[in-house]
Amino acid sequence: MLEILEKAIEVGQSLGAQYVELRGESGFNEYIQMDDFRVNALTQRVEQGVAVRVLADGAWGFVTTSDLSSLDEAVKNATSMARAAAVSRREPIQLTDVAPVEDVVDLPIARDPRYVPIEEKMGYLTETTKFIKSYDVRITAVTVKIMTASGHKYLMTSEGTRIQSRIMLVWVYPWVTGKDGTRLSAARYEDASTHQGWEFLEKIATPEEIGKQVAERVRLQLEGVPAKAGSFPCVLGPRVIGVLAHEALGHLAEADLTVNSAFNGKLGEVVAAEGVNMTDDGTIAGNLGTAPYDDEGVPTSRVEIIKDSVLTELMTNREYAAKMGLRPTGNARAESYLYVPIIRMRNTFFEKGDHTPEEIFEGIDFGYYCADFRGGQAQMNASFQVGIQEAYEIVNGEIARPVTDLSISGIATDSLFKIDAISKEDFPWELGRCGKGQNAFVASGGPHVRFSKGGITFGGKH
Amino acid sequence: MTDENLLLDLCDYIVKKGKEFGATAIEAQATSISELDAQIELAQVSGVNRKMVDEISIRLYVGSKMGSAFLTSPTKEAAEDAIKMAMAAAKVTTEDPDWTDIPHPATYRDIPELWNESVESSDPSEIVKTTNELITNSIQALEGLIPAFGGSGATSYHSAYCNSNGVSVSERETIAYAFLGAVAQTRSGMTPMVMSYDIRRDLNLNLEGIIDEAASLLKFCKSQVEGKSGKYTVVMSPHAYSQLMNFTLIQSLRGDNVARGKSRIGDRIGESIASDVINIYDDGTHPKGLFTSKADDEGVPRQKTPLIENGILRSFLWDTYWANKMGVKSTGNARRNKRQGLVEISPTTIVVEYGKRSISNILSEIEFGYYVRNVQGAHSSNPESGDFSVVGNPAILIQNGEMMGSIPGLMVAGNIFNLLKNVREVAREQSFLMGLIGPDIVFDDIDIIVK
Repeated sequence: MLEILEKAIEVGQSLGAQYVELRGESGFNEYIQMDDFRVNALTQRVEQGVAVRVLADGAWGFVTTSDLSSLDEAVKNATSMARAAAVSRREPIQLTDVAPVEDVVDLPIARDPRYVPIEEKMGYLTETTKFIKSYDVRITAVTVKIMTASGHKYLMTSEGTRIQSRIMLVWVYPWVTGKDGTRLSAARYEDASTHQGWEFLEKIATPEEIGKQVAERVRLQLEGVPAKAGSFPCVLGPRVIGVLAHEALGHLAEADLTVNSAFNGKLGEVVAAEGVNMTDDGTIAGNLGTAPYDDEGVPTSRVEIIKDSVLTELMTNREYAAKMGLRPTGNARAESYLYVPIIRMRNTFFEKGDHTPEEIFEGIDFGYYCADFRGGQAQMNASFQVGIQEAYEIVNGEIARPVTDLSISGIATDSLFKIDAISKEDFPWELGRCGKGQNAFVASGGPHVRFSKGGITFGGKH
Repeated sequence: MTDENLLLDLCDYIVKKGKEFGATAIEAQATSISELDAQIELAQVSGVNRKMVDEISIRLYVGSKMGSAFLTSPTKEAAEDAIKMAMAAAKVTTEDPDWTDIPHPATYRDIPELWNESVESSDPSEIVKTTNELITNSIQALEGLIPAFGGSGATSYHSAYCNSNGVSVSERETIAYAFLGAVAQTRSGMTPMVMSYDIRRDLNLNLEGIIDEAASLLKFCKSQVEGKSGKYTVVMSPHAYSQLMNFTLIQSLRGDNVARGKSRIGDRIGESIASDVINIYDDGTHPKGLFTSKADDEGVPRQKTPLIENGILRSFLWDTYWANKMGVKSTGNARRNKRQGLVEISPTTIVVEYGKRSISNILSEIEFGYYVRNVQGAHSSNPESGDFSVVGNPAILIQNGEMMGSIPGLMVAGNIFNLLKNVREVAREQSFLMGLIGPDIVFDDIDIIVK
């Protein structure tokens, strides 16, 4: 692969391109879905392809191809497309300077999912389904999906970067339905690793662990009471505060979105209550969004988005770092060779505070504790929404009855000032995917965080 | 680009070879995609992208055990390797006692105007010109409008399907589109991003319409007003309710969910589930539908399927597997995720039948209510229960028949089946969206929560 890419880089250089970037991929991908013990999909594939990105005359041209024999042609096309776009630009796109990197990055995988027998994978799905079905008689339908990937990717640029990295993914996702009389509800769970092989599903995301997480949430849905509508004091647990960090703040701190958002021009300003710190860190060992380099070859880093309540840093790629005079943070990511790298989060979280978990609930006469979510979405005016699939009432400082589906929302630029207590305990990571036109595997988290009334709106019933 | 005749030959070869290798039933579907697009960033064209890929999917059975494979190289050698992989998968998977057969030959309706030569032959400079026109004209349409996101593109598809029962079908289609994501600065920050778009089979894109729609909405978003919590009349644009329906109603109409006890309306055929002014059908043959084609992804002819007539539930959507299991006929709604090998039931174009009065007449009679153009978080709805809780963004206050301004953070909560019962009126003007054709709808007594 490397030799083929090297030759194509030369083609781009000979055409006078400012920058030529080739990202090659070769690997094994697999998807299996079991619906109520029936195998609904079982596909294994070996796929290779190359993403060609060229900066010429100050604009981008991008071609994706799975035909490695026509790479020279792809580079020529990308260059001429960039020139077609450049004609309309008022100023040329520039890239911030980075030192070229030559590296080979490997992962210590115990069991490469590519070589795990299909029978064993079927066994995992069957055991997970069995566990869930036996958890509660009211569980009526179980779908379990797994996805694995194993391969290599290669990044080569006209500036001399040459990086070979391992592609690794094991992912599991159950969706479970429960019925109690005429009441029907559902819950989902998700777990994944980009740093371990099949051993992750054997030792960590086991059928019992995954099954318990999702089945318990269905039980709570069937027994819950509806949430009230309005604004209440509330505590957001690690999985929900994590997704709030991601949706409400993270997206607005992606430099390509910041420029058109409510955070525009707010660098250096106080944007949150005292004691709030929020970070995106691509260097946390073994975490889902961690990698030594991004898809432009920039080393990943710790980005202190909010430090001591002040909007301090934004996540960038090389283009936006140059445009905004910021450092390149290593946040350019592409789902695969089919996509252009864009600015994405990695592991995004609220930093720990100084309250004990008990103190967080104290003093709330009536409010809500949100423990788990189902999806979320941000908008440019800082409006955020997070669907909640596990929540409880808080009555006189104690966790009380479970609550059925609802969602919470707010305007991030207001809500952040309503944080009045942050717990000091360690927290688990929520592992999942983010969609911004293409998928990225990301982690998010944080300790228990309390919002006073007026910070979060509950979309319940009147 | 591989044309549909070559793809048909390849699919035919795969079926023959699969039978030789021991498959008792086999199907192959191949698509060749050519996409060209230019994107907007920071009110300029940032670049041009080209994607040319072949995607071939194989699903086969050994007895009642299924295996599948995917490949991107349209060669016989690569296909043989993929068949062997699918055979290996089928041998280790479980028996499916409910599986009976794959589709049999049928007659296809010829659908004109799915293909336009000028779309396939578009070049980068044409796409850049269209995108640049969108930028320049949108900036002039409203003071302070920022074309933050958007672009235009031209895509052509050639596809073919064959199976061991003798089904053989091929077709080609083109799609051209332009879209705009616009924002504007407000006194306190930024408006929500307003999206508008046009999608057609030819290059006659209505850029003026896209820009007018975005600019007129942004005008309201620039001025913010206060709303009230409670139960109110809500007018939803098809942009908003199509998302709510996708994640709730449509899931309950899927035959697989009915068969698996995951649909709240699975036993209600012939009963009233919506206001009697509601008529909804799925139409895979609609001339303006984006998912219109001769056949679905199993080679079954597309059709028009009435779902709700005058509020009465008439039918569900089916693919071949679930239709066979439940003793009904496929409605031509199979969609295949080729990379995953997953065939699922999916709507084509959902058509909500239009009403008699214009939206301006209807709005003029509303003393106090809200207009919801788009929603945030529809994907977090509970498809089984039908419960939803979303942010209307933008949501605009209607007072004494006038649109007053936007309300940041307005939430709309409820259940899709109650919502359908609360439809008061359906407007006359239709919008043509991706996957839905329909007018604005007026709902009564909807839970509104404002900050």
